[in-house]
Amino acid sequence: MEPGDAARLGPGRVTRALPPRMWLLLLLVGWGLSAGALASSSGAAAADSSAMEELATEKEAEESHRQDSVSLLTFILLLTLTILTIWLFKHRRVRFLHETGLAMIYGLIVGVILRYGTPATSGHDKALSCTQEDRVFSTLLVNVSGKFFEYTLKGEISPGKLNSVEQNDMLRKVTFDPEVFFNILLPPIIFHAGYSLKKRHFFRNLGSILAYAFLGTAVSCFIIGNLMYGVVKLMKIVGQLSDKFYYTDCLFFGAIISATDPVTVLAIFNELHADVDLYALLFGESVLNDAVAIVLSSSIVAYQPAGLNTHAFDAAAFFKSVGIFLGIFSGSFTMGAVTGVVTALISKFTKLHCFPLLETALFFLMSWSTFLLAEACGFTGVVAVLFCGITQAHYTYNNLSVESRSRTKQLFEVLHFLAENFIFSYMGLALFTFQKHVFSPVFIIGAFVAIFLGRAAHIYPLSFFLNLGRRHKIGWNFQHMMMFSGLRGAMAFALAIRDTASYARQMMFTTTLLIVFFTVWIIGGGTTPMLSWLNIRVGVDPDQDPPPNNDSFQVLQGDGPESAGGNRTKQESAWLFRLWYSFDHNYLKPILTHSGPPLTTTLPAWCGLLARCLTSPQVYDNQEPLREEDSDFILTEGDLTLTYGDSTMTANGSSSSHVASLSLEGSRRTKSSSEEVLEHDLGMGDPKVSNRGTRLVFPLEDNA
Amino acid sequence: MRMEAQPRFLSEKDGYHFQHQGAVELLVFNFLLILTILTIWLFKNHRFRFLHETGGAMVYGLIMGLIIRYATAPADIESGTVYDCGKLNFSPSTLLINITDQVYEYKYKREISQHNISPHQGSAILEKMTFDPEIFFNVLLPPIIFHAGYSLKKRHFFQNLGSILTYAFLGTAISCIVIGLIMYGFVKAMVYAGQLKNGDFHFTDCLFFGSLMSATDPVTVLAIFHELHVDPDLYTLLFGESVLNDAVAIVLTYSISIYSPKENPNTFDAAAFFQSVGNFLGIFAGSFAMGSAYAVVTALLTKFTKLCEFPMLETGLFFLLSWSAFLSAEAAGLTGIVAVLFCGVTQAHYTYNNLSLDSKIRTKQLFEFMNFLAENVIFCYMGLALFTFQNHIFNALFILGAFLAIFVARAFNIYPLSFLLNLGRKQKIPWNFQHMMMFSGLRGAIAFALAIRNTESQPKQMMFTTTLLLVFFTVWVFGGGTTPMLTWLQIRVGVDPDEELKEEPDSHQATSNVDKSRTKTESAWLFRIWYGFDHKYLKPILTHSGPPLTATLPEWCGPISRLLTSPQAYGEKLKEDDIECIVHQDELAMTYQEQATSPCSPPARLGLDQKASPQTPSKENIYEGDLGLGGYELKLEQTPGQAQLN
Repeated sequence: MEPGDAARLGPGRVTRALPPRMWLLLLLVGWGLSAGALASSSGAAAADSSAMEELATEKEAEESHRQDSVSLLTFILLLTLTILTIWLFKHRRVRFLHETGLAMIYGLIVGVILRYGTPATSGHDKALSCTQEDRVFSTLLVNVSGKFFEYTLKGEISPGKLNSVEQNDMLRKVTFDPEVFFNILLPPIIFHAGYSLKKRHFFRNLGSILAYAFLGTAVSCFIIGNLMYGVVKLMKIVGQLSDKFYYTDCLFFGAIISATDPVTVLAIFNELHADVDLYALLFGESVLNDAVAIVLSSSIVAYQPAGLNTHAFDAAAFFKSVGIFLGIFSGSFTMGAVTGVVTALISKFTKLHCFPLLETALFFLMSWSTFLLAEACGFTGVVAVLFCGITQAHYTYNNLSVESRSRTKQLFEVLHFLAENFIFSYMGLALFTFQKHVFSPVFIIGAFVAIFLGRAAHIYPLSFFLNLGRRHKIGWNFQHMMMFSGLRGAMAFALAIRDTASYARQMMFTTTLLIVFFTVWIIGGGTTPMLSWLNIRVGVDPDQDPPPNNDSFQVLQGDGPESAGGNRTKQESAWLFRLWYSFDHNYLKPILTHSGPPLTTTLPAWCGLLARCLTSPQVYDNQEPLREEDSDFILTEGDLTLTYGDSTMTANGSSSSHVASLSLEGSRRTKSSSEEVLEHDLGMGDPKVSNRGTRLVFPLEDNA
Repeated sequence: MRMEAQPRFLSEKDGYHFQHQGAVELLVFNFLLILTILTIWLFKNHRFRFLHETGGAMVYGLIMGLIIRYATAPADIESGTVYDCGKLNFSPSTLLINITDQVYEYKYKREISQHNISPHQGSAILEKMTFDPEIFFNVLLPPIIFHAGYSLKKRHFFQNLGSILTYAFLGTAISCIVIGLIMYGFVKAMVYAGQLKNGDFHFTDCLFFGSLMSATDPVTVLAIFHELHVDPDLYTLLFGESVLNDAVAIVLTYSISIYSPKENPNTFDAAAFFQSVGNFLGIFAGSFAMGSAYAVVTALLTKFTKLCEFPMLETGLFFLLSWSAFLSAEAAGLTGIVAVLFCGVTQAHYTYNNLSLDSKIRTKQLFEFMNFLAENVIFCYMGLALFTFQNHIFNALFILGAFLAIFVARAFNIYPLSFLLNLGRKQKIPWNFQHMMMFSGLRGAIAFALAIRNTESQPKQMMFTTTLLLVFFTVWVFGGGTTPMLTWLQIRVGVDPDEELKEEPDSHQATSNVDKSRTKTESAWLFRIWYGFDHKYLKPILTHSGPPLTATLPEWCGPISRLLTSPQAYGEKLKEDDIECIVHQDELAMTYQEQATSPCSPPARLGLDQKASPQTPSKENIYEGDLGLGGYELKLEQTPGQAQLN
């Protein structure tokens, strides 16, 4: 800083550590030489002016920090307002507007104010041209009059938009880096979704859910892509298209818009206790859907034909894309499942449950590690987190102490709630503050038509095929409801905002935004009328539901002639699942949790030592009740009674275990009620849960 | 077309690489924290008390830092080309650079002074492992500080409020000045010894060091106190002091750093000095007002809406409003952390009473969890920073001087102030308490965060290195020595804070009411007024408890008071709840008599009706049990009780 130092070091080569192979640079812009000479010649004056400049930069940094705080504060106040209004709505039982819709409305209002209420500041930055440099560096050291300033790469700006970049400081401040959505906001939402999948109903409908999620999303993506390609062709003829729009772009749009997010509908279902099967189908589909859509869109982006024409069909590139899809998906799946399993093992073999805080922290960190690990390995973190959530719910959850269970649930619930509403209010804001909107009426109308057609082509044929195999048919009203619930939400938005560099992407982003608005407000608001119009059962108690259902099935189908036939038609499709269930029940559950039959009985004799080592002592103590808990999940899968007969432990079929499960002991009550918490807690934390939560925590104090 | 696609792809690759690096870096921290948690569990399971989790986190951080430092190969210099584009004569906040027809936007990050540049050539991972210091102030410290404010033990805290404030304000100022003077002496000595150039290290720098070193953070000691149930008064004194201490030190540091006399930057200038003092007062008062204003708003919102039907919304609101206190303070140019601290205290005092039972637990657990993570991340980072930070300046003389200075300053802080306080206090602070407080002068997260905030100049780097070493030493040695020290000083352990309360009011009230209260009148006068005001007006306005406003407010504002009083306040049992907090302050017995509406003071406490008793004490229990590390204590506590019952 001293002038002497400046002269001594001079504007020499300065290097700086950077990510591997990016050994940087140093672009010393500047003034280096002359300033150095100047400084040494007239020391005092230079010091004075440099002090002034330093003060100015510091001021600027402080000002920037202040503006950051203000913009964040805006969002937080928006969320606060949303919470208060939502309370009012819930209090008065107004169901036509969900909190996410409300968050969007508030976001819109603030967006309008920011857009038209704040004066536009003129940009004072000018582009420097340094044509000597042929690479982009992530950090830049700039030498200005003998002082070094560090600049970090923020992003690329397409030359056409250069002038509009610096329009308004405030608008720029409230625009977040799109990666924030993927790295901070989406993971808690997705994890929570995975963690709160209703286990029993989810696994009962696993086949259908997977079919909807994988096949359905592919179908929907393809149909929307083709329809949009037609629309784009039309626009070209009409002359409304001012830039390139390829077929891959259309498919990309199809992929991002296939991620359904019926959070509004699900919240209403949860509140009204709509049919659990419908709930499980919709929820499971939407959750897995997101994962598929993310991976699909990234593999479409990765589709790069080798030939000269970059946008023609190329089989090699196509198969490479498919390979990428499968690779990323299975990689993320494995990653998530492995961390889930590791967490389960840690929580099983340490007595960490004596310290709920440590346990919760471990749980949180492990789940977060999944995300980071997947990102570091080049997989998709969000997908990994989803499967980690499912695995955690399936295994680790059973090992946690009662307090940790409620803690983890509540923690992720709060995170989920905040992140979701944040995204939705950002959406409202983005409609006005995002500066590169491309509104194209034809494209937008085309997109609306396409998503409905895509949804229809996805639900009805698949339901038809599934009904051929399903014992428990998906009724017409369920199909209509599923068709109706094709809302778009956070995931579609996040995928669309990720890349808004090209003209086509900007048009997609605008369209996605409008579709989200429309579906959340109109379709979300119309859920309750739709439910009553379609005569869908409401007020079903999910816990009450299985026993009668099950009994009737057992009686009707277990003995009747139908059962054999029904089983046989389903044999092929269910074979894999059955295998998985029994494997899960006989080996995974005992290894990873304290429940299930002891490994010593399920494993062959020769690995007795290992089995004894892995089986927790609790299993021997209370074999009987623990099996109950477990059978809860798989009992309803009628075919499983066969598997049960095979395993040595469950000699007494399912009907007797039913009786046992109804006569639960007092000590078991806590466990089952915590299970209920898990299952109740899906949407918006209803008051019933609060009562349970307190009961769970308070027994400790009652004794004192 | 190909030409266009190529560079795009390149930059995407870069971006990917960037993110990839960020993920790895966070992953390392996650991994360290997981290890810490497992180790700590092992220690707790075996009841080892000599190493607290923060100490463990530091050890792991150190090991990881060592590995990163010496096991990763430094990459070689590939391109160090220099280009001249002589058009720039100031440093704008964003820089647009046109590279082969692609325009890139660069954002201003910071200024680097020249002597720091060459050490930057270390390995890439070292560079990535260094956080932006502002992260500590904007992300990691707020939850810690809020949690501290939120979990101040209300009753004991208010009982000792006078002493705590004295220690925090006067004590920190004394300590800052003493450390500053001693360090100035050492700096002079270093200049004589030729280790330091004259004029590099000014007196303001010494004072700066003094103020950042004054922020004590005895988290280790407090955790052990909590586990062993040490005397609650000692606990409160230490905890309250350390919490307020932090706030004072932060503001003080800021005021000293902006002290810039006009003429010669290092002589005394009365105008600049008074400006700094005014600045200190302004920022402190502003932050205090901001924090409490938000808490009051939260209290009002939770009181007048029936948000308690939806605990999740309630928790969300609570969290958001507390966070806005931080952001508003930052936006207004005040200190966010101080605002958050007072917000926490006020939230605990008022809003907490309005929350539903579920929300109370949720908010406690949420902030406890965040506190735990943030604290361990900071301590872990400290361990890491010893090796990965690249501008360390180890100066043996300075470090030695600093060690000496903090002990002397701590002694100057505790003993004289305790003496003065004992003149006024009814319940004297005994010698063993004073020794214990002297001993508990650990340095922690705040000192580190303040030191790392500015490491540009050489004196600042020397301070940073010294601070790091001081934190290590105090946390490991003092933290480890707490349990032996407690037995050596014969400090009561195993005190149940609720047991004590029941006996004391009776005995004290009877004997010491008259004469003791008179000696304390002057100093306590202000507090008494505050208590009366709080109990009669603020509590009824902001919460459901307290006497109904209709009774305390004058006649003429009847409509307002009826509007503000919640229907519950008319009920009888809620008054009991309130008494608990203030009944101990025996001067208040006088205030109580004056009140028309509370005919029953202490005796009534014992005769609690069945409905109230199971609820209120257990609430308090959670609240108080939950300070240090999760409520596992609660469980252990139960066992003897159960055994008695059975």
